[in-house]
Amino acid sequence: MHSDPTDLIHRAQQGDRTAFEALYRAHAGRVYALCLRLTADRALAEERTQDAFVRAWERLATFRGESAFSSWLHRLTVNEVLLGRRAERRREQRVVTSDDPAALERPGGADASSGSALDLERAVAALPAGAREVFVLHDVEGYRHEEIAELTGIAVGTSKAQLFRARRLLREALNR
Amino acid sequence: MTGPHRETTLNEYVDGTLAAHDRASVEAHLADCAACRAAVAELRSLSAAAASLPKSIEPGRDLWAGVETRIAQRATWNVQRLQWRAALAAAAAVVIALGLYRLLPPSTAPYRPAEQGWAAVQADFDRTTSELGLVFAAERERLRPETVVLLERNLAIIDAAMAESRAALARDPASVELRGLFAAAARQKVELLQWVVRVAAS
Repeated sequence: MHSDPTDLIHRAQQGDRTAFEALYRAHAGRVYALCLRLTADRALAEERTQDAFVRAWERLATFRGESAFSSWLHRLTVNEVLLGRRAERRREQRVVTSDDPAALERPGGADASSGSALDLERAVAALPAGAREVFVLHDVEGYRHEEIAELTGIAVGTSKAQLFRARRLLREALNR
Repeated sequence: MTGPHRETTLNEYVDGTLAAHDRASVEAHLADCAACRAAVAELRSLSAAAASLPKSIEPGRDLWAGVETRIAQRATWNVQRLQWRAALAAAAAVVIALGLYRLLPPSTAPYRPAEQGWAAVQADFDRTTSELGLVFAAERERLRPETVVLLERNLAIIDAAMAESRAALARDPASVELRGLFAAAARQKVELLQWVVRVAAS
């Protein structure tokens, strides 16, 4: 896609669905990766990816360009995943299992992760949900603890404790 | 260095969030402790591996069709909602017109059922303005804040005028002049609320 992103955003804000589809095509992989790592569930990640883009369409008018569009979209995606998880928990006390590590294998094979990266993906997917979310947001996505606390509604200290716990569990898993 | 304190300190050290003097203290400890050096190396390696994971993973199927369907459904729903509100406003105008017609003096009203007196008119009007008021409440976020302030001020003035004419009509129900005053204020209120519906729908 060679269209100017600013022009695409502006057109999408005016209701141009073709422009929004171009934005979707440019960002879907990034949003899906985030959803997949946060949920450790392929079907749920697909659902949350769609939720995030539907919400982005609804809220496009609020995007004023103060931050990069991708940053805005990723924050919105994290919110959708976390809101979805809370709603899911309330609805049926469903525990998001992490027994589907194959979900984290990249389709196609040509562009597949290296063995150690795949081991890490699987180990991350097997983490308890709270530790996994903080690890993904901090170590994979590069959010600061203050931002994670704001996004997830936990204290900064709790965010740190979850991160350190996640790292300990990952080291144990990878050294086995 | 042992236990949870060790874990926290080494993680903070790797993340670069320790104060300068704590950092110096950890570095001094690391010089003498092979186990902590190994732990730090593992933590650094883990963080680096996490940061270098692919940032993009293509979904196993194209998700756009589902997104597009939901966006289209919402657009249809929005149109239906606005059409419903416009219909409500139109219906409200009819109800008000009928109510005001009943208030007209006998000389200008060819037909006015005896049982449809002031109480029925008041009930019609209250129900209708209440429904339009709900539309206003739902749509106020679509309006500019200064417009909302002006609308609320005007509605308060109209409501005060209507309260006065209601009270006067309660004392003198047959007064043509009071009915005219009430009718004018009622029409103004409906027109104002209809304007809100039109602007919000545009």
